[in-house]
Formats: sequence, structure tokens, C-alpha cells
Amino acid sequence: MVEFKNVTKKYPNGTVALKNINLKVSKGEFVFIVGSSGSGKSTLMKMILKEEDASDGEVFVNGYNVSTMQRNEVPYLRRGLGIVFQDFRLLPNKTVYENVAFAMQIVEAQPKEIRRQVPMALALVGLSRKANVYPNQLSGGEQQRVALARALVNNPCLLIADEPTGNLDPETSWEIMKLLSEINSRGTTVIIATHEKSIVDALKKRVVAIDKGEIVRDQEKGQYGDEDKDYKIHH
Amino acid sequence: MKIRTTKYIIKEGFINAYRNKLMSLASISIVAASLVIFGMFLLITINLGQNLKGLEEQPELEVFCDHELDDAQVQTVEQAIKDNTKIQGYTKVTRQDAFDKVKKMLENNASVLEGMDESFLPVSFKIKLNKPQESKQAVEELRSIKGVEKVTYPQQVIETISKLSYWLRLISVIVIAILLIVAMFIISNTIKLTVFARRKEINIMKYIGATDWFIRWPFVIEGIIIGFLGAVVAFVVISYGYSAIGDKVNSDLIYSGISFIKFVKMREIGFEIISLYAIIGSSVGAIGSVMSIRKYLHV
Repeated sequence: MVEFKNVTKKYPNGTVALKNINLKVSKGEFVFIVGSSGSGKSTLMKMILKEEDASDGEVFVNGYNVSTMQRNEVPYLRRGLGIVFQDFRLLPNKTVYENVAFAMQIVEAQPKEIRRQVPMALALVGLSRKANVYPNQLSGGEQQRVALARALVNNPCLLIADEPTGNLDPETSWEIMKLLSEINSRGTTVIIATHEKSIVDALKKRVVAIDKGEIVRDQEKGQYGDEDKDYKIHH
Repeated sequence: MKIRTTKYIIKEGFINAYRNKLMSLASISIVAASLVIFGMFLLITINLGQNLKGLEEQPELEVFCDHELDDAQVQTVEQAIKDNTKIQGYTKVTRQDAFDKVKKMLENNASVLEGMDESFLPVSFKIKLNKPQESKQAVEELRSIKGVEKVTYPQQVIETISKLSYWLRLISVIVIAILLIVAMFIISNTIKLTVFARRKEINIMKYIGATDWFIRWPFVIEGIIIGFLGAVVAFVVISYGYSAIGDKVNSDLIYSGISFIKFVKMREIGFEIISLYAIIGSSVGAIGSVMSIRKYLHV
């Protein structure tokens, strides 16, 4: 599904964000990427979307060789991915329904398909009754669920979430994480970059810890950190 | 591209242009102003060309004999003209005819001619050629006849006008190029505002997997709308203005007896002008908008 082979990322200003990363995520997996701010986990996520290119090494996503991909192929790579952000990124002038439908419109889906898929996606995240509401009338957790519905509506095989609960209170964070875990149990591969120690520890999923651009730990049924050193520094 | 995508794109284009009313209006005015100036040059060029053609179709030459020639010598000149195969026919203008004409031209001031007779005027021949395109050679041949002082021909006028219209065209191309570039930058700036207002949306679209052209088209449509509206405004201004001036000048010219200069009627060239305007306006708008979104598409 996702594979990093000897990937190094140097930014033009000389910062080395990632050093010789080797990582493989198989189909159907649920992976937490953890690490402090500036550890390189955001860069790693961006490379899956081809928002950043590797300086060295190769990245494979969903059968594409992202490192050698042409610019005009990028939209088609992203259509196979569902993406969720910390700040939700919903369109404020569109209703919940329209926000989700928009994701299908831009991939030129059949209107019939749109009418069928959007309610299903909204039902999955439990927002069927708020379909005609505008994002600013929703709570943060609800907005993130809309974003999730939008990410899922095109049936991606891989869901990427960069700090999906970063702006949410602990209780809502739990709901979102449970939802993500449920989505994973339906067969979607899920990769989450997060700071939420309690959730990571409780869910007992695969954990990849990054520190100073290197993978320092990769554990099945892992914990956030043995000494939670990074966590204390940044909170 | 699918029909509903096209619909979406056109709708978004109109929404963009409308949201940005003030800047759109400013851009439309600039495009219109540039096209009006362009239209003025164009109309002058068209009119010169048209009148030039009219002049070229007038094959008449006039040969003036030396005014000191006696009747016998005039006779030989006349014979030479008669013998020239390029000449279809001629009329002789005697000294008396010329004198009458001068008298008539002076009208009330004819008194200056008092005490003078026709002898200071030359005999001349008005000549009609077989083929107007042979006029240059004919002029050379007529000039070489002994006793001919000068030959007047419309070619002189034609040459002056063609030279004038060449320079006019050159200047107009430069002026128009500058104006259109300015218009393009202003449109590009207007659209930059829309792009900036919608940068979040563009960003989201890019993440969801919209292609570059899907994102670009609504802005291109916005540019085309602005350019096209500018063209329409310019056409209205120029056609009204031109008709008003043309009618006035045409009637003045007829009144003063100069009938060979004629303004081309707007309805004869209106369609060409509006199509040219529409094409130029729309392309300026489209290019301007493509220029402005390039930067924002690199997510």
C-alpha cells in the first residue's frame, strides 16, 4: 500500500527532515505515526500525498511510484486517497451535504452516484440529520466528521489523517478515533499522525515513532512512548 | 469534458466575476478603452484603404502641354496621344476651356483676370486608359512626348496615402500591443483577487484530486467574461461614435463637392469589427487569467 525505500528529505534551507526512512504499510493496516513537532512526521505524511518530493530514495503509494510521478498524474494519486486535516478544511459557503458531494463532483462522478454515495458517507459518520447545515453551525467534532465523510465518499483504499484530533477536546477525539478504527475494520488502510498519547496507548495498534527524522521504533500493538519524554516537552 | 462539468465551470466563472464586481468593472473599462482606441486606428486604416481603392479605379490622367506651344505643335502632341495603344480615349481641353474653368473657380473674384486672355494657360488632354494598372508606364510614355510639360495622375495621391496608411498601421500596431498588454495585466490582477479569495477552496480541491484544468477553467471563464464584456462596450461606443462622425463628415464632403472621399458605412464592417473585438477581448481575458493562477496551482 505504502512503502518508503531509503527516503531522505532535505529542504532547500539545509534542514534534513527525514533520514534514510524505510517503512512499509500493508493493505488493511492501522498505523499511528508519533513524534514531537519537528520530528519529521508531517513531512512523511506530505510525501505520501506528493506535496513534498523525496530528495533521495523512492516512495510507493497505492501502486504509484510517487518519486517519479509527473505533475499531471498527482490528482489521480490523490483520488485514491482520503485525506483529513487538523483544521477540517471544509468550504464555509457549502452545506454539509454539498461539501461531501463536492469531492465527488470534482472527480466527475455520475449525479446518480453522488445521490447514492453522499447519504451513505454521512450515515457512516452519524451526521445524516445535519446534511443541510453549514459548517459554522457545527461543533469541531462534527466538522471533523464531515471531513471524514468527504474523505471516504470516493471509497479510497487509504485514509491519511494528519493530527485529526489536534483541535478537539479529549472526548470528541475519542469519538473520531473510534470512527477511524471502524473505518479501518471495513478494509480501509489508515495512517494517522498524532500526539494523542492516551488514545494511542489504549487502541494498541501499530505505532511508528519518529525522532529527528529517523524511525526510532516500529511496534505492533505499541505504546506512544516508553518514557513519554517527547510528550512532556511539548505539552 | 463532461457536460455537467462544463456547466459547473461556467457557473463558477460567472459567480467569480460577479463577486468581484468593482474590479471586474475596472477591468472591463480598461479593455473597452483599449479596444475603442484600437477601433479608431482600425477605422481610419479601413477608410484610407477603401478610398485608395476608389482612387486607383479612377484611371484619368491629364497631360499638360507647354503653354508656349503653337497650334501645330499641339497637333503633334495630340497625334502622339492618339497613337498610344494604352489610351482608350481623350478629350482636349483648349485654352478657352481652361480659362472658363479658372474664371468659374474664382467666381466673385473673377476681376483679377481682367485684362488677361487665355494665352497664359496651357492646352491639356484628359486621358482615359484602357487598363488602370498600366497607368505608371503610360505616364512615362506621355512624359517623353516632346512639348509635354507635365502629367498629373492619381498615382501621386495614392502613393502619399499609402505611405501615410503604412505609418498609421505601424503606429497603431505598437499602440494596440501596449494597450492590450496593460489590459491583460489588469485582468490578471483582478483574477488574482478572486484566486486569492478562493485559495482555500483551490487548496482543498487539489487535495481531493481535482485536475489543474478543473481548477483553472472557472478563472479562465471569468477572464473571458471580462474581456468579452469589454469588447461589447467598446463596440457600442465605437459604432455610435463612428456613425455620428461619419454621417456628419459625409454630408459636409458632399456639400463641399468633394465626392470621391467617402466614409465606409458602419453596417458594412460592423460584423467584422464585433467579431475581431470579441476574439481579442476574450483572448486577452483568457491569457490574463492563466497568467494569474499559475502561481497558486502549485500545492
